[in-house]
This record gives sequence, structure tokens and C-alpha cells, in this order.
Amino acid sequence: MKDSAAVDQSNSSRRAAGVVFGLLLPILIVNIIAFVVPVLNLAAMSFRSATAIGSLDEALTLSTWQSLLGDTFYWSILWRTVWMGALITAVTLLLSYPLALFVSRRSGWVKTVLVVACISPLLISAVVRTYGWMVILGNQGFLPALIRASGFTPPRLINNEFGVLVGMTEILMPYMILSLLSGFGRLDPILDQAAETLGARPLTVLRRIVLPLSLPGILLGCLLCFVLAVSSFITPKMLAGGRVSLLATEIYDQAIVTLNWPLAACLSVFILFVFGAALLAYGQLSKIVD
Amino acid sequence: MYLKVESLEKRYGHLVPVSGLSFSLGQGELLGLLGPSGCGKTTTLRMISGLIHATSGKIIVGGHDVTHLPTYRRNMGVMFQSYALFPHMTIAENVAFGLEMRKLSKADIAQRVSSALSMVRLPALGNRKPLQLSGGQQQRVALARALVIEPDILLLDEPLSNLDAKLRDEMRNEIREIQQRLRMTTVFVTHDQTEAMAICDRIVVMNRGKLEQIGTPHEIYERPSTPMVADFVGRINRIRCRWRDDGAIAFGHTAIGAVSTGPAGSEVLVMVRPHRIELRSAGAKAGRAEGENTIPGTVRQVTYIGDSLQYAVESEGEKIMVEQATTSAGDTYKPGDAVTLNWRARDTLTFAAEADV
Ligand SMILES: Nc1ncnc2c1ncn2[C@@H]1O[C@H](COP(=O)(O)OP(=O)(O)OP(=O)(O)O)[C@@H](O)[C@H]1O
Ligand SMILES: [Mg+2]
Repeated sequence: MKDSAAVDQSNSSRRAAGVVFGLLLPILIVNIIAFVVPVLNLAAMSFRSATAIGSLDEALTLSTWQSLLGDTFYWSILWRTVWMGALITAVTLLLSYPLALFVSRRSGWVKTVLVVACISPLLISAVVRTYGWMVILGNQGFLPALIRASGFTPPRLINNEFGVLVGMTEILMPYMILSLLSGFGRLDPILDQAAETLGARPLTVLRRIVLPLSLPGILLGCLLCFVLAVSSFITPKMLAGGRVSLLATEIYDQAIVTLNWPLAACLSVFILFVFGAALLAYGQLSKIVD
Repeated sequence: MYLKVESLEKRYGHLVPVSGLSFSLGQGELLGLLGPSGCGKTTTLRMISGLIHATSGKIIVGGHDVTHLPTYRRNMGVMFQSYALFPHMTIAENVAFGLEMRKLSKADIAQRVSSALSMVRLPALGNRKPLQLSGGQQQRVALARALVIEPDILLLDEPLSNLDAKLRDEMRNEIREIQQRLRMTTVFVTHDQTEAMAICDRIVVMNRGKLEQIGTPHEIYERPSTPMVADFVGRINRIRCRWRDDGAIAFGHTAIGAVSTGPAGSEVLVMVRPHRIELRSAGAKAGRAEGENTIPGTVRQVTYIGDSLQYAVESEGEKIMVEQATTSAGDTYKPGDAVTLNWRARDTLTFAAEADV
């Protein structure tokens, strides 16, 4: 009796494991074909070198890596990419946090409408939205015209880091808001009220209760936005006008314009290390937060 | 009067959880807020603490109108029904929070936190997080957190609902003891009448957002002003009858005497508590005392619940519950026994039949 029960149990747990594996299989296959293989391919390509006409040399070589790592130009691009990514993420967080907090404190249809409003920009392609910013910030654009009309000389708002910052922040805000909202789970308004009855003023409540409890959401949003900021190239390309080179735009240039695929592959692997570092930092920080 | 609530009202659209509520407490008084679930107890407490705004009415503390004062300036210790402990802080940090807001020194805080935790019998758990505690333990931490700031007014929302019977009694007496030692003006919300009776100086019984009666536990129990109160504060029989023209109440072939009288022929709701009725064998000729009701009946059902016996007795077509303390003698009645029900006229509570809801 006992034995057969044990067998039954191990059978059923084996069956459960089989079901789980079966359910995971499709996404596993898609991931291997669409992600793992191309990345390995890319890594392999970074050990080739390009001939002058853009075709690949058969021989394996470290020369591309050597020229990349030895060139301060690429290190400065890396630095600028990380710095811009961090800046964009920080500004996005600052602008999104109050919004997300406000939305999370509504209820019923008001909340639904607000959530939809926050993420509706995602319905419009990033290219179109970036064009919108070019119209607003461009030299003959709306904002400079307004500044001129009020008797000042407008500073350059586009084709520089400022333009990229503005465009990217607006593009990334919906992602940040969504992450924050999902991370506000532990944030019960009754905790604010408890703090208030204990004598905490609204700002103290924000600092001691609301902020610490929303850290998981903040971390998640920051990771997501940082990775998206570092990897996006359409918006930086359009708003930087070729004056701000970032890793992603450089990869695009090397692959499409210069046709130096090995170098593009090298840079792509390089950028993967940045993501890896970001993930590592996220893992460490969320461990501390818990 | 230290805390005064004047015609307090709260509306949510068409919903009126609290209306026309007025009561007051003296300094150091423990007032119970008693009523069925959903009658507006929590809503009232939240208005007093300022967490929600009263639609109309006034809250006065020590002569000052605090109706529009923000919560953080009211110095009221609140214990929430759902505890509301800060999940990211340890137990000690939770209890220390209010003291930090009052800018006490570190040493002072540590000392008061540890004495508060031993007061609620949790001296060793200071370093745990709230989610690592049982429901009852969390409840006691919430109590410590509200007490430790020595507030002007202590507001407790069902502070003992999650404790086992023994701990509940202990904590109840503990709260009473602390409250009296610190002379803390306290509003104690509960839907448990025994709890309210045991420790409150006075009790407000609420029903559907309105005040039903306010009085000492004794007044509430012995002289309930409405059938709802009589029903809520203890088991009770209810019988619908009519007044006779001699001032007694017609009950089938016999009559029930009460202290009050009513217009002859009008309907009356008679209520008698089961344990105030005494059972005697039908034959026994016990000396009938002046002002005592004697009604014949037949035992239909006997339920033994340890410290008492519950009899369902049929009399004049009505079912009347009788409760008697058990004795070791074991002299009990059996179903089918003919008995008489005896109780004093002053234990007959009468209400106009319209008051019954
Ligand atoms: N924010 C709100 N919006 C609408 N209705 C509410 C709101 N808060 C409470 N109510 C309603 O007000 C009534 C009283 O609620 P309250 O929480 O004060 O009851 P209670 O006496 O504390 O009950 P319990 O003993 O179950 O805790 C309930 O019917 C409730 O549904
Ligand atoms: Mg309640």
C-alpha cells in the first residue's frame, strides 16, 4: 500500500514535470532559433575580419577585438553610452514616479483611463514620435520659434545630447510607468495612514514609507529603461544628427554604412557586456532591497 | 468632556455609513464602540483620527476643534483593524517610528520600544519582520506601536479580534490596565459585547450608522433602549403580545407582568434573557414571590454546552429559551417534562412593537 502510494506520487510529480517541460518547449525553441543562435553567430563573426570591399575573411583573428579595445574612441563611446543611458533613466524615473504614484492611488474607471492614457503613446511608433520631437525642437520648430517670439535667442535643442535626452525620456516613460505600477503592489495606502497617525508629515511618509516600499518597482523600471536606452538607435540617430555617437548608432553605422560586420559584431558583444553588468547590478540591488 | 463628537456624518454618494453621531468622553475614559459588522465603527474611528474627512459635524479634543487638523498633528494613537505594520521595517523599527517622529534620543527610543514590546508580551521578536509573525503577534505589535507614543487619544479598531480566547482575555485586561495607568482617553471598537462589557466605562451601541444607545455596560444590558440593543448585547427571547387593560401582557391563557405598562390592546414586544428564567417542575408549589411571572410550559429540547444547559420550552405556542448553569447534582429536565417558567417582572423588557426591526 505504502509503496504503491509512493510510486503514484513520484509518477504524478514526474508527469507534472513533463507537463511543465512541454509547456516551456515552444518558447525554448523560439528562443534558441531567434536569440541564442544569432548571438553565437555574432560572437563568432567578431573573430573574423573584413576585407576592404566588405566581405568576410575566412581566417579567425583577434585583430578586430584588438583594434576595438585599443582605440580610445570606442572607450569614449562606451562611456558616453553608459552616461547617457543613466541620465535618460534618471530623468525618466523622476518624471514617471509622481505620475505612477498618482495613478496607483486612483480607483475604478478613473484609474483605468489614466493607465490607458499613460501607455497609449506605445500605440504610435517611436519613429513618428521622434519626428514629432524634431518638429517641436528643430531649428525652425515650434519651441525655438516661441523663444524667438519672446525676444530671446533659442539655444540648440536638437542634434545634441539634449535632444536625445528629451526624445528618449518621452519614448521610455510608458515603460517606466508600467514597471512602477507593477512594483507598487506592497504599497497599501493604509500604511501611509498608519505613518500619519504616528506623526509623520506627508514628505516623511514619502521618504520613509512610500519610497522604500516602491524600490522593487523603481529598480525594475530603471533596468528596463537603461537597457532600452542603451540599445535604441532610431531616436538617437534622428535627434543627434550624427553629432552624438553612441554604441547602438555606431553598430548601425558599422554594419549598414561602412559594411564592417566584424567590427559591428564586436561592438554588439561589447554592448552585451554592458547589459550583463546592468543585470548584475539589478540582481545585487534587489537582494539588498529585500 | 475631553473628546466630543458632534453630529458627525459621512457620505459616499448615496451611501451614508455614519450619520447624526454624537457622544463624548471624559479624560481617561474608555469608551466602547459596539455594533454589528458594517455599522460604521471603523468609519467613525477614521473620522476621529482625521484619516477621512467628516462630511459634516465636529470633533473637539480638549476644547479645541480638530475637525480640520491633519492627522499627523492630532497625536492620536491608532491601531488599525488590518494592523498596517510597515512590512519593510523590523518589529522594533515599527514601534520606534512614532518616537522617531517625536525626535526622541536614540537611547530613549530603544528603552521605550523594549518596554512596549514586553508590555504586549513580545520582548524577543524585535528583530523580525512583520510577515514572519503570526496574526495575533502582529496585532500585538500594532498595539505596542499605538501605545508607545503615549497619545492624547487612543483609538483601537478591534484590537483583539485575532487572538485565542485565553490571550484575548489577558490582553483585554492588559489594555484596560495600561489605559488606566496612563489615564489615556480611549475609544475601543469591537463587535464582541462581552469584550465591551468587560473593560469599557461606557458603551456606544451603533446600528446602521446611527447611535442606538449610550450608557454604562450595566445600563446597556439591563435597560436597553431598543430591541436591537437588547438583542445585540446578549441572547434574548422575543415574543410578540398585546397589552391587557389591567396593565399586564396577555400571553395565551396567562399573563406576563412587566414594570412598565402600555395602552390596552396595542401590540408589545416582550424580551426576556434566557438565564433570568428559572425552571421548576410543574407540580412543585414553590412560594410564588410578589411580582414574579409563572408560565406553564413543556420542555422540547435540551442542549448541554458545558457550563450551562439550554432548554427550548414550548409555552402557549411560543418557543422560549431558558438557560441554567449546570451543577454536579445533575438534576435536569428531559424533553416532554411539564415545567413552569419563573422570572421577575423587572426582567421583562417591553418595547413598542414598531420599534422592532
Ligand atoms: N470608502 C468607502 N466607500 C464607500 N463605502 C464605504 C467606504 N468605506 C466604508 N464604506 C461603507 O460604510 C459602511 C461602514 O463601514 P465600516 O468599515 O465603518 O464598518 P464597521 O462597523 O467597521 O464594520 P466591521 O465590524 O466589519 O469592521 C459599510 O457598509 C461600508 O461598505
Ligand atoms: Mg471595522
